[in-house]
Amino acid sequence: MSDSAGIEAWKEQTTAFDRIQSVASAVSKPRPVSYIADEAHVAENTARDHLERLIELNVLLKRDRDGTAHYAPDPLHTRIQMLRELLEQHDRDGLIQLKTSLQSQIEDWQNEYSVESPAEVRARAAETETSEQTREIRQTASDWELISYRLSIVEDAIENYDTYSEDFRVSA
Amino acid sequence: MQSRTTTHTAKTSEYLLDMGEPSDSYDSATASHHALHSIKQELTRHPIVIETRGFPAGEFVEVVADLAIERWGVDSGNATLTVRWFAGESEDARPEFSFHYSDAERDLGWHHHEQEHVEGWGHFQERTGTAEYSYEPYTFPSENPAPLVWEIMSLLSARL
Repeated sequence: MSDSAGIEAWKEQTTAFDRIQSVASAVSKPRPVSYIADEAHVAENTARDHLERLIELNVLLKRDRDGTAHYAPDPLHTRIQMLRELLEQHDRDGLIQLKTSLQSQIEDWQNEYSVESPAEVRARAAETETSEQTREIRQTASDWELISYRLSIVEDAIENYDTYSEDFRVSA
Repeated sequence: MQSRTTTHTAKTSEYLLDMGEPSDSYDSATASHHALHSIKQELTRHPIVIETRGFPAGEFVEVVADLAIERWGVDSGNATLTVRWFAGESEDARPEFSFHYSDAERDLGWHHHEQEHVEGWGHFQERTGTAEYSYEPYTFPSENPAPLVWEIMSLLSARL
């Protein structure tokens, strides 16, 4: 079966390595080379070579499952990428401001729903009367989880600011 | 507050120590951020995209891309694509996501989440001005964010 126009454009604008990296970096659970090759529209042998290279670069993790190699993004790699972006965009005061803003958003949700965690908000979805309300609550829960994750990285950046910013200046 | 952030750090450590036990290591926020970063990267590579950013500023719960749709021969201001992605509560859960386009005249998008307008999760929705949305079923060809970005941009080009 021929590729769609969208996939044809993707193949024109990117390399096989680019596509393998993007697909493998976005999987929500470890996946075998066959899945990644299919989604990236490359041959399995090509995918396997590029995946091994991405393991060497600490972008991905590899683990055997039932005798088959499975690949997933390395959460430390993503975390370090986000730390670097934060240090490029903010000085220490800016990071503290961002931390306050994220905490304030979470506190607003805590007060609005009288709960302490995103899981408790999500449990409220069972009590709604319309699908629109359900969707709104589920979206708040997922946003809360994403902001909590981001807050953890901002706190890491503040706590280790001197070390990270020194490393950043050296590498810049 | 500290307990929540510690949870994410601990989840990362669990994942690293035991990638083979997904039920113990899956963290929906980490998985969703992986997807959002991949979406941002792929949008940046698309020739119609001028700029991408996490939104709201500092929070990064969605990706917004400014589009130069005049390169498609379409004339309208403020053309943006907003993408949301939640990887799901477990690693086997279906992801919830939306690719939503708007400009000075149009408001449309491809969504994948629970709703009551059409059968199934996947659908296309569109409206003019402040009118109610109209809905039609849509089956996504993939649930991986990277190829989906390009599929949706192609569909958007055809719609505009």
